[in-house]
Amino acid sequence: MELFRYSRSIYGGSNQLIGANWDLLPVFVGAAIAFIILHAILSARAKRRRQRSS
Amino acid sequence: MDEAPSGNSQIAAAPSPRVSRHKALDRLYHWLMAICIFILMATAFLPILGFKFEWLDIHWITGVALAVLVIFHIVRAIGWQDWRNMWIGFADIRDLWRNVAHLLGARKTPPLPGKYDAAQKLYHLGVAIVVLSVVGSGLLMLLKIDTPLWRRNPYVFSSDTWGIIYVVHGMAAMTVVAIVIIHLYFALMPESWYLLRAMFRGSISRKEYLEHHDAARWKA
Repeated sequence: MELFRYSRSIYGGSNQLIGANWDLLPVFVGAAIAFIILHAILSARAKRRRQRSS
Repeated sequence: MDEAPSGNSQIAAAPSPRVSRHKALDRLYHWLMAICIFILMATAFLPILGFKFEWLDIHWITGVALAVLVIFHIVRAIGWQDWRNMWIGFADIRDLWRNVAHLLGARKTPPLPGKYDAAQKLYHLGVAIVVLSVVGSGLLMLLKIDTPLWRRNPYVFSSDTWGIIYVVHGMAAMTVVAIVIIHLYFALMPESWYLLRAMFRGSISRKEYLEHHDAARWKA
């Protein structure tokens, strides 16, 4: 997957960098959701451990 | 008849049942910033996802409003508030390590923080970097559009430089989306409801203060 978007320069020559690749948006959203799931699992386990020891 | 003793008998005032956490101006700033961020995300990404509408004017005007809010916050935090509340020190690094240890089961109880815990301070640092990046690059991009104050001039930077500015703006914008999702999760956790209420009411109860914070690190 490309990180950036390019377009061909109207003056010819090499490709012109024009911005970030918007196809990365699901990657950023997915990373946030993965972090949340991991935190939720670890928090639930920590809570169960506290309840067992009290 | 005995008279009541006079003199310098001082009765210590009972602590207030509520502890002030956020002044009204700061709560207003937080919610205005949230509204701006949501409008900016919607006008940025809905057209990309296929919902076509005239998004540019709403986007840049809201972006300028966000820039004003950010400048207000920086000035207020440095001049009128205690910026050290957000400073990440050795104690916070230690607390972060202890929090991770608690999550992984190596430690029974998490440490008590000051006004903001280490994760909140790190989140604030991350948001500051990302929002300053997206606002800074966005303000430069204003040079490419006609506004009531100036005519556009795309030649102020080279094509390569514009490419970098657009990359910074796009990457920072997508990071904002991830950060907002994570912020909503932490704000809506039951353990954080007392903080969410404080962002409306401005205060927390003395019980919540003593239960969740170290009184030596946050004197209230």
